[in-house]
Amino acid sequence: MSATPFHLLWLLGAPLALGLLAWVRPPRHSGLVLLVGLPLPLVAVWLLLGLEKGPMAGRLALGPLMLHWRFDGLAALLLLLTQLLLLASALYATDYARATRLGRHAYAGLWPLLGGLALGLGLIWIAADLLLLYAGLELMGLCAVGLMLLPGSNAALSAGLRYLLFALVGSLAWLLGIALLLGAGGRLDLAGLAALTEPEPVIRIALALLTSGLLLKAAIFPLHSWLAPVHGSAWTPVSAIHGALVVKAAFFILLLLWRALLPKAIAGAWALGALGSLAVLWGGLQAARAAGLKQLVAWSTVGQLGYLMLAFPLLAGTGADVATMAWQATWLQLGGHALAKAALFMAAGNLVLATGADRLTALTGTSRRLPLAWMTFGLAAVTLMGLPPSAGFTAKWLWLQAALTAGQWPWVVVLALGTLLSAIYVFRVLRCAFVETGPEGDPEPALKPALKPEPGLGPALKQEPRPKPELKPGPELKPGPKPELKPGPKPAPELRPASGQKPALEPRRPPLGMELVALALALAALALGLAAAWPLALLPAVASPPAGVR
Amino acid sequence: MALAAAWGLAGLLLLLAGLSLFQRDLWRACEAFVAFALLMALAWLLLGAPWLALAETLLGALLTGGSLLWTLRGRGALPRLAPVDETARRARFSAPLRWLLILGWLGLTGLALVWLLGPEALTPPRSTSTLLAATGVPIMGLGLWAFAAQRHLLRRLLAFNLLGSGVFLLLGGLAAPAAAATAEVRALILIGLMIALLGSVLGAALLLRLHAQAGQVTLNPLFKARSNAGSGSGMAPGSGMISTR
Repeated sequence: MSATPFHLLWLLGAPLALGLLAWVRPPRHSGLVLLVGLPLPLVAVWLLLGLEKGPMAGRLALGPLMLHWRFDGLAALLLLLTQLLLLASALYATDYARATRLGRHAYAGLWPLLGGLALGLGLIWIAADLLLLYAGLELMGLCAVGLMLLPGSNAALSAGLRYLLFALVGSLAWLLGIALLLGAGGRLDLAGLAALTEPEPVIRIALALLTSGLLLKAAIFPLHSWLAPVHGSAWTPVSAIHGALVVKAAFFILLLLWRALLPKAIAGAWALGALGSLAVLWGGLQAARAAGLKQLVAWSTVGQLGYLMLAFPLLAGTGADVATMAWQATWLQLGGHALAKAALFMAAGNLVLATGADRLTALTGTSRRLPLAWMTFGLAAVTLMGLPPSAGFTAKWLWLQAALTAGQWPWVVVLALGTLLSAIYVFRVLRCAFVETGPEGDPEPALKPALKPEPGLGPALKQEPRPKPELKPGPELKPGPKPELKPGPKPAPELRPASGQKPALEPRRPPLGMELVALALALAALALGLAAAWPLALLPAVASPPAGVR
Repeated sequence: MALAAAWGLAGLLLLLAGLSLFQRDLWRACEAFVAFALLMALAWLLLGAPWLALAETLLGALLTGGSLLWTLRGRGALPRLAPVDETARRARFSAPLRWLLILGWLGLTGLALVWLLGPEALTPPRSTSTLLAATGVPIMGLGLWAFAAQRHLLRRLLAFNLLGSGVFLLLGGLAAPAAAATAEVRALILIGLMIALLGSVLGAALLLRLHAQAGQVTLNPLFKARSNAGSGSGMAPGSGMISTR
């Protein structure tokens, strides 16, 4: 048991305090945000380096209430990731507000909600009892709903309301699970619950209820329907932080609980793995069919979250080497995907902002005018697809190895199919960028014919959205402008569908700050793959008990 | 004596829960919910938690109930909702998955209760706390059913609140014998009450915005409200009955 570390408390509370400050006086320039916000990730790094002496854990007494917390390498890494993504999102938001002329009140409301979200996430990373986890989860959930509602359009309100109802029912399922656990054991701290083994059926039922509540919040396969509509209408910085962290927090709690309560439940773990596999396939298929760019990115989140669920079967009842590989792969995928997904949402937001339309068809031929945004998109997509230098590749490699060593071949198939699907949807977008002769004459339907066939026909069909006589092989597929190869630069207006409300203009370039933030995140996702040894060394061993003091 | 009072209380709770879910007049349904929340406060008193009773009165009855009632009598720029719920219920067997979830939820809870309480669970309960915990189960069932079957968003908010109350009763009743974690249990219920309040206020405000902007009182844009102000529903009266999910 350690003394209460005040720098940890400061790091938890500071974002909320800054958010409230920014509510009163919303920042206009990203420089100010950078100056004020930069200390937060630095403190997180300092905390991380202070962990050399070993993990900390303790209790905090609030009157008769006893709150348990722990702070190990995993919590510190996740806290660092949270602060980095929060800072990136805040930097992006200031430029975004100017570029899209957001309403003044809505923009001011962004800040306290972001602060509350950070506090909720921080509580989740360090909590070691169900009460603290519940408080963090609810704070995070309500702030996330609030953030999604900020645009105020009909679509946003409707999607946000659906999200709210789902989140509320999910939290009640979670509370019911806690009630049953309390009835069985009479305590809430994870260490005490880990020691609880009797009566086993009640623990199983309680865990099933807790799991269903968390699956709802994490948008895992059958309970994912709220995710795509909510992202379709949300602001880009909000989508980025939501897709990167909020859904992952629910997964984090899920893994924590399963490892504390039923570490050896193989059937349940396989069921979760199967749900994850379905999520990978379904999310990939839907992303490959999506007509809008943001929809596509949101569906890819559903698919990528499915990979994380493979951790359960590979951690339950397997040998030490398999468990270690799966453990490392899980956290690497979580971190890599968080960075890459935030970058992808931001790049997609930049593209949508530049072309003024969300449809993929509207992106035709923009690669020469928006090289930076497309480069970011491509780099982030490298992580999503799991191509070599990225964290996604390392994670998938470790999973493959773990699955092969354990003899659990179904996951190998899932990993292969998932990678194929993600390659399909990524290249579908990139194609739109590099094909120069777009939907001339027939605006909307360039992609429609490909969308018509039944979903059951498989991914092979979707690779060919339209005949491609003009697509030049080779050099054009590389990012970067190559004007000398073209017969002559065509002005954009003819390429774009005429149905947009705005008169067709040359795509205007989004502010440089927005592009740089997105690019930095995409590069960070690649760097995480190259320097994976450092965070992996800081992770607690897989066999270590999940909780702090008794 | 206390047990007789608890039986009476449990019966009244169930009655009011049913009233607030089945009443077609939304104003009366919300009033029934306020009464239900006040009875919940009494239940907390019976379980020996006066602070929780105070919180339930304040957060549950006054603020949550008040905000739901406010959607029906809102003044200012926002038009109020129609007082009578005329949206069709969802077709009963339209979504087997939904019914599977409801039955699974209730079945699992019942099974766990039987396991926790032993054979005593199948006989009439003898202690106040067990009785109130057992009352939580049918209330949850009512709430779950209404949440899944109703389309009107105000009704779904009511159903969510009832479902929450059922869970709180179960939590309070089950944990009462384990004195070790009393403070934690009360903190859990208090957080739950606050979440329910925030969720209800947010949901009610959203519902009013949605109603003002699009004339919608359900999540599905096809089911427009036929408000007495006649705001924007160009649909024939019967078209709301077509099941388009």
